Amino acid sequence: MTATTPATEPALDFDRVSIAFGAREILSPISLQVGRGEFVCVIGPSGCGKTTLLRAAAGFVAPSTGAVRRAGGVVSGPTREVAFVFQDYGRALLPWRTVAGNIGLALEAARVPRAERQGRIDEVLQTVGLTAHAGQYPAQLSGGMQQRVQIARCLAQRPEALLMDEPFGALDAMTRQGLQDELLRLVAEQRLTVMFVTHDLEEAIYLGDRVVALRIEPTAARPSVAAVIDVRIPRPRDQLLTREHPEFLRLRRELYQYLGHH
Amino acid sequence: MIGKARAFVFPAVLLGLLETWARTVGKGSDAVAPPSAALWAWAGALADGSLLAATGFTLGSAALGLAIGTLGGVLLGTVLGLVPRAAQAGFLSIEVLRPIPSVALIPLAMLVFGFGLRMELSVVAFATFWPMLVLAQAAARQVEPRLLEVARALQLSPGERFAKIVLPAMVPRLFVALRLGVAIALVVAVTVEIAANPHGMGYTLMIAQQSLDPALMLAWLFWVGAVGYAVNAGALWLQRRVAIRMGEAGLR
Amino acid sequence: MTRRLDARTLASSAGVLAGLLALWWAASHGDWVSRVFLPTPEATWGSLAEGLGTGELIEFSAATSLRMLLGWGLAALAGVALGVLIGASAAMRLWIGPTLEFVRPLPASAVMPLAISIFGLSGGMVLAVVAFGAMWPVLLATVHGMASVPTQLKEVSAALGLTRTEYITRIGLPNAMPDILAGMRLAMTVSLIISVVGEMIASQPGLGQAILLAARSFRASELFAGIALLGAIGFLSNALLAVAEAHLLKWQHP
Repeated sequence: MTATTPATEPALDFDRVSIAFGAREILSPISLQVGRGEFVCVIGPSGCGKTTLLRAAAGFVAPSTGAVRRAGGVVSGPTREVAFVFQDYGRALLPWRTVAGNIGLALEAARVPRAERQGRIDEVLQTVGLTAHAGQYPAQLSGGMQQRVQIARCLAQRPEALLMDEPFGALDAMTRQGLQDELLRLVAEQRLTVMFVTHDLEEAIYLGDRVVALRIEPTAARPSVAAVIDVRIPRPRDQLLTREHPEFLRLRRELYQYLGHH
Repeated sequence: MIGKARAFVFPAVLLGLLETWARTVGKGSDAVAPPSAALWAWAGALADGSLLAATGFTLGSAALGLAIGTLGGVLLGTVLGLVPRAAQAGFLSIEVLRPIPSVALIPLAMLVFGFGLRMELSVVAFATFWPMLVLAQAAARQVEPRLLEVARALQLSPGERFAKIVLPAMVPRLFVALRLGVAIALVVAVTVEIAANPHGMGYTLMIAQQSLDPALMLAWLFWVGAVGYAVNAGALWLQRRVAIRMGEAGLR
Repeated sequence: MTRRLDARTLASSAGVLAGLLALWWAASHGDWVSRVFLPTPEATWGSLAEGLGTGELIEFSAATSLRMLLGWGLAALAGVALGVLIGASAAMRLWIGPTLEFVRPLPASAVMPLAISIFGLSGGMVLAVVAFGAMWPVLLATVHGMASVPTQLKEVSAALGLTRTEYITRIGLPNAMPDILAGMRLAMTVSLIISVVGEMIASQPGLGQAILLAARSFRASELFAGIALLGAIGFLSNALLAVAEAHLLKWQHP
């Protein structure tokens, strides 16, 4: 079990964060730091609380003990500096606004001056490759494109951190792989900090700098955090080559056990 | 094309049977007349202006009553849907007042307004107020929760959240409710005219019966049916257009 | 409206209702609105108590309720029977369906003049129109319910070799049950409305006639008492049906 301490102030600091719903403890106290520009993936079996952890980082859920800290202060509620990408993209987009309109919502919320808005929308559309679809409605787009719109809206917030909750889970394998590479590209371009929840072990290793594996039904003897492992595979990553890399295969074997298989 | 034509076969057969029966066995009846005579009577009513006058009155009072009932019902329903405490507080009062059949208010409206437009539109307003309230409340409560989380994530103010997310999300459902409201408004308006108000289509229908003019009575009956059908079809069309515009209908 | 009736809701809404009653009291006593139109709550209560005491209002309520229930019962039977006939056959739905859709928006009260021509101004006329008007929601709901049997169930029926009757009773009707019950609730509402209108027009004994006469004689407290009773009938009939519906559709919410 290795963990690296970032050299500069962490983007996200989980300070002995535990979360319980009523009498049930979902997450036993977790201490974890996500450094600036780091890509941390969180994996675990269903019900291990990985989404809950992400939502606590976003401020949707308050920890039962401990605190999530960001930029020196405690996270007490959602802020625009942290962008959240939902898995059910269809329900997170406004069906009555065009692609451009959906992205514009983030700018309206941030009180960006009208004159600046179009420029920023165009910028972000170009980053996700949807310039040609600016005037279309979400219902006219494929699943992959809708998810890119959601990501684009999040990028328009110019966030410090991007929190992603199984964003590619509802997509077919080919679309997923394409979006994985697109995500890596724009994260590198914009030097974003990312916390990425997924149930797909290979996706976690492919994308991440570090992988955090969580356990279901934590006890004192077996706390929520089962493992935090560095992914020492060089970037840029490649769908074919990286997945055959010996380190990739080793990590896959090592982390397999943490997904609830026995 | 064939499909559309097929819809007319059954009614054509029925009308043919009625025509034959009315001209033979039922000849001279006070109750039924041949459809051909009814058509002639309809043309007469159109020519002397009574058709348009009566139709205009019924549609006008229905529309005005619907407007008032919708305005009140949607406003209150939206508040109740968005503010759970208000919904709790209003529960008993609504459950007590809602079951009152709108027709029970006809004598009261007569007492207060006498006969005419105001009496009719007030009954229509009462009748449409409740369904619009209930449906608006449901629409406000059923805004996609994920969108409300997006509003939180973007730190939208309550006013922004209402204007940019809640209200647009409610619009398609409100137009579904409006379609129901339109149907109720027309039915109640005609009913008020049949029961009491000496104006509009219901009244002319009663007069035709009292004058023992079965052809005119049949004509008015069919005309009321046709107007009802057209108005409902219009409301359905509007509802669909709005749904598409607001992205509810799958466009792929 | 599914809302759990907890103590908090009961308390706050009882408070609001009491507030409205107080408003009524103030408005009538303060003559904000003429007493001709708005009787005091006590006067209304007085008329109600008196009418029930002499048995007069009980008679009227019973007459209206009986008319409503009888008409509704006939309508339910006819509606389901015809609905099954039309709904079970795709061909019937194809040829007759559009005509049904045309008749759907027709106000039931519009056939009252025709019924008067045929039956005269009588209780039978009112009953006929009630049954006719209340039949349509049930008929249309039954047709819709029978038509919406999932294809897989139809295939199961064919595979099991069910006869037409068995298909209707074991698959078609149960599948249509939620729709039919909803239609029956709507039919009850229609039934009450037409009963009241019929009583008004045909001078048949009942609450409808009673409130019309009360209005004509400017007896506002009697008018309000009658309206209250009609509201109660509407509430009770709907509530009973809702309970029956919940019981019959238990399988939807295990």
